[in-house]
Amino acid sequence: MRKGHLTMRQKNIILNCIAILIAAIFLFPIYWIIINSFKLDGEIFASVPTLWPKEVTLQAYKDQIANLASPLKNSVIIAFGSMALSLCFSIPAGYGLARFKIKGSKFFILIFLVTQMLPASLVLTPLFLIFSKLGMLNTYFAPILSTATISIPFTILLLRPNFLNMPKELEDSALIDGCNPFTSFIRIAIPISKPAVITGACFSFVMAWNDLAYSMTFNTKATMRPMTAAIYNFMNQYGTKWNSIMAYGVLLILPTCIIFVTMQKHIVSGLVSGSVKG
Amino acid sequence: MNSKREKRERVMGYCFILPAVVYMLIFIGYPIVYNWIISFQDVTATTLGSSARDFLGFDNYRAVFGDPTFPRAVKQTFFYTIFCLIFQFVLGFLFAMFFSKNFSFSKPIRGFIVISWMLPITVTALVFKFMFAEGNGIINTILLELHLIKEPIGWLIQEKTAMWGLIIANSWVGIPFNMLLLTTGLNNISTDVYEAASIDGANVFQRFARITLPLLKPTIMSVLVLGFVYTFKVFDLVYVMTGGGPVDATEVMSTYSYKLSFQLFHFGEGAAVANVLFVCLFLVALLYLKTISKDEVI
Repeated sequence: MRKGHLTMRQKNIILNCIAILIAAIFLFPIYWIIINSFKLDGEIFASVPTLWPKEVTLQAYKDQIANLASPLKNSVIIAFGSMALSLCFSIPAGYGLARFKIKGSKFFILIFLVTQMLPASLVLTPLFLIFSKLGMLNTYFAPILSTATISIPFTILLLRPNFLNMPKELEDSALIDGCNPFTSFIRIAIPISKPAVITGACFSFVMAWNDLAYSMTFNTKATMRPMTAAIYNFMNQYGTKWNSIMAYGVLLILPTCIIFVTMQKHIVSGLVSGSVKG
Repeated sequence: MNSKREKRERVMGYCFILPAVVYMLIFIGYPIVYNWIISFQDVTATTLGSSARDFLGFDNYRAVFGDPTFPRAVKQTFFYTIFCLIFQFVLGFLFAMFFSKNFSFSKPIRGFIVISWMLPITVTALVFKFMFAEGNGIINTILLELHLIKEPIGWLIQEKTAMWGLIIANSWVGIPFNMLLLTTGLNNISTDVYEAASIDGANVFQRFARITLPLLKPTIMSVLVLGFVYTFKVFDLVYVMTGGGPVDATEVMSTYSYKLSFQLFHFGEGAAVANVLFVCLFLVALLYLKTISKDEVI
């Protein structure tokens, strides 16, 4: 070590402190959502906001419990429905693109890359007309079918590299033992790829759970709205009841946070491969 | 024999892939085509159900281009996208450089920051709306405490500042995304290159300009193009935070299209605006495909 240079240990401590400071500032909005959901009305309307509630209370949650039941149920149905649908299509496709030599596989990958980049607002009007003709507005079908279009390409691109890295010998020996490609896919490929499949499932769930545009447009009836649309409508009606709005917000971010904390590593690497890798 | 096996393999492959392709064609491909048809038709609340709708030619486009809100929305969409890109990219890059340093919590903290990218945009929009509130928003409170402003600013209710509120909120979502992709790129640069450069006497800035940037160029290109696409298509954030207001000051193409279709029920005009958005995105997507096929990096 040269004179005047910090030792490795000192450097480590300083860098850690800076990192914690960055994270604390960056993640402040999440703290703000949670902490404000525990405040009383009086404290929310006070002219100077408090960093910590004077009185931690569940009042905001209690006030909203009656309003929350139906949107929560709708969100759960839509998110799980969309996840199941998305996996039914994306797992085989991710596997097929990795495992079989076929003409045009590069083209298919490009199609998924591009469709993943397209926004909901592009297809809102035509899908609305289509669903209205089919009588599917204000049903669970419309949001489930439409949100699956967000997660299918993403999950395919996320799963393909994983199936590519799978040892081919395992499957070859299964084929010799009398499996056909379908049974070896179900009995060998899927079980081996469990972590990746679960990551894909989490992304599919979160993408449908987070959706506002599709659900709000197709399900205008209050009883069919998911949480995202319900919180938006609530804000329009009671714009300054921020403790209640943030209580909705906590419930909305809860599944995402749980998934994120329990499988952070898979999610972070999945995010990179799902959004760019071809 | 061999070709028979190859053929069987191909058929099996299609069995696995085609369902997903067909699904996307039905629910994304067909609507995109249908959108072009609608944009030439007279589709309003009254003609919604009927199959025989009048063909209007370019009337919808003429109506849209004649509306002063439209050029404003186009301009604002680009303004919003460009400034979001600058903030996200610069901060994302700084974060990526910082967290690529070797210290004990670098990976867990970097991973943790990514959560802002995964939260529902609706909630992000609401909490930023709350923080930007004029009366007792935390941002005004802090700025007043620091004596940076003399009186509270109505960030989202003033025409001049509303767009900046949106840009800040969106950058919060986009920074981790930029950071992650750039981190992947940084990790691919071998440390040997840096060591060799240090031995040759290159300082930090020289190493950054002569090694990091050139080697990272392909990653930077795809980060910028992806960032552009994801920002350009913004809808939820604007819709929830400002609804396009005050007085159209934050109207972007997607919210404008939504308004025409679902608040005024001029579906044909809404479709026309969405098609302009599509053309813009399509051109950028082409650029993206060109860069990835040239570099084959990602």
